[in-house]
Formats: sequence, structure tokens, C-alpha cells
Amino acid sequence: MKDSVLTYLDSAVSKYADRIVYSDENSRMTFSELNHCTMKIGTWIARLLEPGRPVAVMTGRHVYTPACYLGVVRAGCFYAPMDASVPVQRLNQILGVIDAQLMLVDREHLEKARGLDFGGTICVMEDILESEAEMDDMLLEKAQEGLHELSPLYVIFTSGSTGVPKGVVTSHHSLMCYIEDVQEVLQLTEEDVLGSQSPLDYIAAIRDIYLPLRTGASTYIIPKNEFAMPTALFETLNRERVTTLCWSVAGIELPARLGAFDCMTPQYLKRVIFSGSVLRGKYLKVWQQHLPNVVFINQYGPTEATASCTYYIVQEKAEDDTVLPIGVPYGHYSILLLNEDGGRTVQGEVGEICVGGPCLALGYYGDSSRTEASFIQNPQNPHYRELIYRTGDLGRLRADGMLEFCGRKDRQIKHMGHRVELEELEAAAAGIEGVAEVTVLYDSEKELIWLFYTGTARPKDIVMYFRANLPAFMVPRKVLLLDEMPVLPNGKTDMQRLKQYFK
Amino acid sequence: MEELMEILEDLRPDVDFEEEKALIDGGILDSFDIISLIAELNEAFDIEIKPSELVPKNFNSAEAIWALVDRLQNE
Repeated sequence: MKDSVLTYLDSAVSKYADRIVYSDENSRMTFSELNHCTMKIGTWIARLLEPGRPVAVMTGRHVYTPACYLGVVRAGCFYAPMDASVPVQRLNQILGVIDAQLMLVDREHLEKARGLDFGGTICVMEDILESEAEMDDMLLEKAQEGLHELSPLYVIFTSGSTGVPKGVVTSHHSLMCYIEDVQEVLQLTEEDVLGSQSPLDYIAAIRDIYLPLRTGASTYIIPKNEFAMPTALFETLNRERVTTLCWSVAGIELPARLGAFDCMTPQYLKRVIFSGSVLRGKYLKVWQQHLPNVVFINQYGPTEATASCTYYIVQEKAEDDTVLPIGVPYGHYSILLLNEDGGRTVQGEVGEICVGGPCLALGYYGDSSRTEASFIQNPQNPHYRELIYRTGDLGRLRADGMLEFCGRKDRQIKHMGHRVELEELEAAAAGIEGVAEVTVLYDSEKELIWLFYTGTARPKDIVMYFRANLPAFMVPRKVLLLDEMPVLPNGKTDMQRLKQYFK
Repeated sequence: MEELMEILEDLRPDVDFEEEKALIDGGILDSFDIISLIAELNEAFDIEIKPSELVPKNFNSAEAIWALVDRLQNE
């Protein structure tokens, strides 16, 4: 067996050639056009780069971005997507980790790419697609010779507590296992339309990119600014006849919080699947009231286990205080709850959620020590090699067999659908001139990141520094200068006293 | 208007609200900025911004936001 996502693509192209695979506010792309783009891009890359190498991809929010990803795969390589809207400093960190020889950009981002710390070749997508250069099937076939199920497909970056982002490497096989599992739950057909919310460089976008290749459905890439103006968002869902949303919880909560349902209701929706954090009952209630026939599905899982490892099909009518369970593992996943000593917890006891199965990532790119710390031998299995991923999340098994999420072991938070390590923010702030001591806390109720500090810097300097160096979701919303940091008798920062400021 | 400028400055000190005319269309304010901004405007000016008013032309510039606030205050 020699399976890769190209198997999906080739089979979809033969079945659905002239149907739309991706669309955005400016363009529509059919399966055969997608295929043509991937062959052109693949040929171009294969002429420049040996197979099995990473390619950094920095393109915008349009239909050609997935075509670039798949073009990289056609060349037997793997892609590392970069969000051009994050600050240069962050992009340079990512480039430092991935150490790619080639970067694929669109014309819009060429200038930005030229300003980065990158010594390799920059290729412009439009130049490739507009060029007269012939596609070379033989070359592509040769480039794909070494490609197999466990070859890396992509490297997606996520917050790291030391201040350097971690690149999670995922194989073709892991991605395909997840897509098979989620399709079993969603049951999409070629009549379905997904409305894509996630940034295309982010893990949550894999559903919007790969489900069409598996099922013949199509994905409409929603413009980012429509999420700030939710009536425009719902108009779009109706105009594009969107049937399926695979969104972050932050994206689901937005229209409910901003009252979008008072103006309009999405008419074609059949199913809504969400993940990333805990959906609050009061917002789910709004969705359910206006869309009584829609199926809602909660998902849970880290990037390191390919998007989501458990799911729960909502049965209940949500109330304000409803907290959904995270459910049961998908087919290709197993879940283990372990206590501090590596033993299994009993039913009802809280333990660390550990994930096993073929969906585990290949590790962190270029970082074997962090890989070994997080992907460990299952302590319950002394007989043969079996890796599990320690999520750092806490969970508990209910009597009915459903898993519940019970928070974090460490100081990682989920904010606006993204993972953020509070230590990373503290490390960043500590590097600013005029900052002496610093503590960062999260008010999860109001969804505000607070930064407390002592020193001579002005709060505005700190916000400006964060805006210039880190993605928007990592910028503290409340920055407070203190005369001194409150401490406990043992010398540690008194977090509880700082939390008083939340009120 | 002065009070509005203060709120905006606090919300996003990195944005030049005197000059910027495409806060929404240019993707400068994100959805989370809008949520915070609306809560603050409703409280500071004792108004209620309705979902139908959440359209780009009401939020693309400080003047546009002020025009909205002014209109709602006089309603």
C-alpha cells in the first residue's frame, strides 16, 4: 500500500473533475483546475529541490493556498504554512526552526518575504502558474517515489513556552486517519458546502482543505473581516449555501455574542462541528434555538494528535450553565487517563489525557528533546514499543463512558481559538527595556489576557512591542504597571491577589 | 469624540485612529477588537448598538464610529 493525500486528490479529480473544490470572494476553482495547479507548482519545485525537504509557504486567504500546499506534496516535499499577517519577528523564528531552502509565496507577499531572514530561493506562485514551463509527469513520479504513509505532510507551528514556536510534524497517514474518522461522523456528500473560518495556515483548516478531496464537497473560504461584522457573515453563509461549519469555538461564539441571529438565520446549515476550547452553554443555546434541526458536534484534541481525537454529538438542549463533555475517541484514536505515577485513573478520577494510535504527530521539528518529553512510551505497556502523547490536559471519565475536560496541568490557555503559553508572553515581556518583573494571567470569563509588571516602561510601550513581535491573539488586552509584584510567604508571585484586578 | 478616541487608543495603541479609514475593510480591527469595542461603547455612551448596525461603513474610521454613537445617543 502506498497511500498519501495525493491518492485523495487523484481519485477526487477523476470523480468530480468539473465541480468546485474551493472558492473565495474572488475566484472559484474546480477539482481539475486544482490538479493542474498542483502539477505545475510540483514540477517547478521538483526542478529546484530534492524530495523529502520542507517548503515554507506564505500565501493569502484564497483558493490558491491549498493548491500551493498540494503542489509542494506533488514534488515529494512537505509544507510549512506561515501566516503573513503575523509580525516579521515571528516569521523569522519559524524560518529559523524549519530551515527551508525554498519559500513559496504569492505576489502580494513577495515584498514581505524579501524582508525576512531567509537565504533560500523564493518562488512566486503566479509566476509558476503563468509560466509556459511544461509539466513533467516523469519528474513528479520520480519525486514521489520515496513518499509513503509515514512521510511528513506538513509542519504546523504552535506556541512554545520558551518563546520559540514549536513545529508539529504530521504524516500523511495521520491526516488521512483523522479525515476518515471525521467523515464517518459528518457523512458529507458532493452536495455539501463547507464554510471555512480558520486561518489556512492553522491546524483547524485541515478539515476545510482535505474533506473536499475525500468527499467531493466544496469549501468556501470566508473573508476574515466578515467575522468582525457577523450579519455579513450570515449573508455569506446563505449566498454560498453553506451546509457545514468546522469552526473554532471562538468563531461559533462570535455571531451569538454579537446578536447576528436577530437579523438573519443561516438557512442551509445541517451540521456544526467545533473545537479549540469549551463552548459556553449560553451561546450554544442561541444557536440551538435558531437552528433546531442542525446537528452540533463538540470536538477535543491537540495539534500533536492531528486536530481532534474525541467527539461528542450534542444530545441535550443547552442551558446557560451547560458544559458539554468531550465525548468518546474517534476510531483511530485511543485515550488513556493517567495519574501522576503513570497509573490508570479509576472512573470519576481526574488524570492527564494521553492519546495513542496512528494519529500521533511525528514530533516537533528539529527538537528531539521536547519530542521525547511529550511523546513517551505508554507506561502501562512494558512489552513492546507503543507511544502516547501527553496532552497536559486533565480529564475525567463519566459513569456513562463520556470523557469530560477538566482544565490544564500547566499554564497553557486557549484564547480566540489558539493555544497560548503564558510563559511565552512573560518571556517576551521580560525582554522589553524598562520591564523588571512580569506576570501574565488569563481571565477566562471575560477572555482577557492581563499583563502585570514593575519597572519604568509605559504600558503603551509593552503593547506596541507585543503588536510588533507576536500574533494578535497573543497580545495582552490589559497591561497594568504595579509598584511592586505581590508575593506569597514562599517568595512566589501571589497570583490570587493579582486576579483581584479582574473585577 | 475625545472620549471615543481614548477608548480606541486604549483598545489598540498601535493603530493611528486619526488617519486610518479602513479599520474593517483593511482588516485592522479583528473580531475580538469589535466585541471589546462594542461593550465599551455601550457602557461609556449609554447606548445599545444593534447587530444590524454592525456593518463595515459604521466602523471603518473613528469619525464613522462617532457618527454612529452620536446618532444612537440622540435616538
